[in-house]
Amino acid sequence: MAELHCDEITASYGHGAVLSGVDLVVPDGTLTAILGASGSGKTTLLRVIMGFIAQQQGTVIVGGKVVARAGEVHLPPEKRSIGYVAQEGALYPHLSVAENVSFGLPRRERKESGRAFEVLELVGLDVRYAQRRPHELSGGEQRRVALARALAPRPPLVLLDEPFSGLDAALRAETRAAVLHALAAQGTTAVLVTHDQAEALSMGREVGVLMAGRLIQAAAPAVLYRTPLTLDLARFVGEAVVVPGHAGGGTVSCPLGELPLVDREVGGPVDAMIRPEQIQVHPAEPGTSDRGVMATVTARTFYGPDSVLRLQLDGLPDSVSARVLGHDAPAPGERAQLTVSGEVMAYPRSGSSAAIGESSEPTALLTSR
Amino acid sequence: MSDTVQAIKVQPTVRAWRERGTRRPSALLMTGIAVALLAGLPVVITVVQAIQGGAGAAKTAFTASATPTLFLHTIELAALATPASGVLGLTTAWLVERTRVPGRRIWPLLLVAPLAVPLFVTSYAWATLSPSLTGFWGAAGIVTFSYYPIVFLLVAASLRVMDPALEETARSLGLGARRTFLRVVLPQLRAALLGGMLLVLLDTLVEFDAFVALKFRTLSVNIYAQYQLGFSAAGAAALALFSTLICVVVLLGEYRLRGGANYTRISQGARRGVVRYALGRATVPALLGLGLLVAVSLGVPLGLLVHWFAQGTSTAGAPAGAGTLWSATLTTVLLGAAAGLLAVAMALPVAILAVRRSGRLANTIERSVYLSFALPDLVAAIALAYGASHVAHFLYGTVALMVLAEAMLFVPFAVVALRGTIGLIEPSLEESGRALGLGPLRTVWRVTVPLARPGLAAAGVLVFTFVLGDLGTAQVLLPPGLTTLGTQFWADSGTVAFAAAAPFAAVLVVLALLSTYVLMSRFGRARGFGEA
Repeated sequence: MAELHCDEITASYGHGAVLSGVDLVVPDGTLTAILGASGSGKTTLLRVIMGFIAQQQGTVIVGGKVVARAGEVHLPPEKRSIGYVAQEGALYPHLSVAENVSFGLPRRERKESGRAFEVLELVGLDVRYAQRRPHELSGGEQRRVALARALAPRPPLVLLDEPFSGLDAALRAETRAAVLHALAAQGTTAVLVTHDQAEALSMGREVGVLMAGRLIQAAAPAVLYRTPLTLDLARFVGEAVVVPGHAGGGTVSCPLGELPLVDREVGGPVDAMIRPEQIQVHPAEPGTSDRGVMATVTARTFYGPDSVLRLQLDGLPDSVSARVLGHDAPAPGERAQLTVSGEVMAYPRSGSSAAIGESSEPTALLTSR
Repeated sequence: MSDTVQAIKVQPTVRAWRERGTRRPSALLMTGIAVALLAGLPVVITVVQAIQGGAGAAKTAFTASATPTLFLHTIELAALATPASGVLGLTTAWLVERTRVPGRRIWPLLLVAPLAVPLFVTSYAWATLSPSLTGFWGAAGIVTFSYYPIVFLLVAASLRVMDPALEETARSLGLGARRTFLRVVLPQLRAALLGGMLLVLLDTLVEFDAFVALKFRTLSVNIYAQYQLGFSAAGAAALALFSTLICVVVLLGEYRLRGGANYTRISQGARRGVVRYALGRATVPALLGLGLLVAVSLGVPLGLLVHWFAQGTSTAGAPAGAGTLWSATLTTVLLGAAAGLLAVAMALPVAILAVRRSGRLANTIERSVYLSFALPDLVAAIALAYGASHVAHFLYGTVALMVLAEAMLFVPFAVVALRGTIGLIEPSLEESGRALGLGPLRTVWRVTVPLARPGLAAAGVLVFTFVLGDLGTAQVLLPPGLTTLGTQFWADSGTVAFAAAAPFAAVLVVLALLSTYVLMSRFGRARGFGEA
């Protein structure tokens, strides 16, 4: 199959760069999710890889073959053997499901529907769907057919552009599973573009985050979530509790206590970043005031499995969020004691030069994955 | 307990009543039916005329006019000109919308312009250019070169609104430009292409002024002759009905052929430009082809007009007085504007019904409006004059009847133009209007009309342009003492006073080109305009 290399991709639509210097490596047979807000350039990256747009700088290599090198090589899209699943599927309304799926196959294979049935099965669709028209399918079924159509010619690489947008939560989860299964069964390398954090983290072997045309960080989901390179990234990838503190000696001293740091080299005034689920909420018992920071619950949002609490810290202006199990969350007005589990991230305060040395730069984290 | 039983019993009745309530013929539906009946009126009157004449008159007319030969002429002409227009329209639309051909902004204007030049002006230009350009080949030529813009407009509009992801996906599956066109683009264009060719075909069947000039006889030319010579109004009516019958067969045929081709968009699709093809070495041939097409379709009539002008100024015979020219221009413009407004007002309910209700009734209303198009304009005009003189005498010989006739004649175009625009309005916007307490008519007025404004304006300008080029209706219904640019040109050119006729044709062509320019530059790029 094929590994995808994007090297220093820079692309623009005439007015300002949409992508600048994007490096991306997708190992053979894995799925990398590209996460980005709308306008971050994620669809443009996909279109550059596909060949619908020519990049101004950089190289795209698929399976060791240069398919695009700025100013030198630009293989047309149809010569790149890259599968493409457009937003909302883009099924051909004039063709049946089977005809859609076998669309990219050589004429001979189109006649016999063997391969079409095979791929339909692969994406978890019954063969009886084969004769239906696209408009007779539900949204989730349409996405599966679109994937089946892209996979039918056995491309080594498939690009998926927001393939689950517009589907409701239950259907989304089901369709995601079907897509992952089909891709894994074929051993296809895949790039999935999405603006949904949970989708990116749950589907990608690796997740790359694009912000304003730059790939800020690409790492395994857990690494990205726990040790995001910047505070902005931390906030984009998930909910973040950010409190001011002072780092030194491998810990940070902040309103939530003396907490161990992921990166022990950081020092000076910092913003400490804690995930809400790291904050543990204990009932306030008399005589145990040393067991954490005292706080009062000011608001509670119930989500079912869990609840998010808003807590006002005693004697401090700061209030923090904590994610706790849903069934025994304290009510607003109740007193609680907070402790923090695990290590926390600390980012040197912007405008301060208190960071100690080169090694404290968070870039060091990239190599630790 | 008894309360519960009561409730269960009452509920279905209430629901049934409510459902019936919503299905009660709405004001919109009633308006639509009224428009359809009005549009069908000329056909009804023509039937009455034919029946009054009896079988004898009809038989005489059919035998005397060598109808089988004329029928064959008509069919041959349509069989050649319709596909030719289709090919020209499709090719030019694809070049302009899908390739990087130089001058993509100017070509659409030049390619649509021939439609604005009245066909009777073009045919006189061809006929004076060379006698060899008359007869069958001349007729086929002017029909093709004057009507391909209809196909171009509809296909180009369809190409613009097509989801780019459809073509992108095809390319990701390994299809090059040619196969993407054949297997993806063409099937999506079927509705627009067939719709455009249908209009060309119907136009060919009912056209007569131009063929008179080219000395080519078709069925409608013969009907015209029957009326002109006053042989037998009833016999001519019978002939006209025969011609109408052909049109109906064509309409039904197109309907069946289109069948499932009216593809519903299954997704909103991507909002972005398409990937255009670089023409490479084909750039020069493409430019030459486009240039040649514009030279033949637009250059010949415009060139001849200039030539006539030159003749007019060189010879002593002074062209028509400025006074006549001015009054004819004013009459023409006012007539066109009034007919445009009326046609849009008539088309709006029909288009809304056609888009929003997919029932048999809505379909019938839409089709019966198209039916008015199947009757040669001259026949429709005569039918209206006949009807007015017998039933509504107060209308006879008035400008109002003339405006009504023109509006009725071109209402199908307005419906086609509006359908596309209204089809793009999210039904939820109208539903929100209803939810906010507006009645159906007020929703149309406060939600649909403002949203469809570009389409409404486009439809109005379109009808205006067509009224400029219409001659048949004016020849019959124009009140005595009034002249339009068209009737004056026709009168002068009939006496081979081309120099005298030239100013009228020139003003007519300039007006038509201006309105076409407005249409193309303001609305031509709007999403969905003219989408069949």
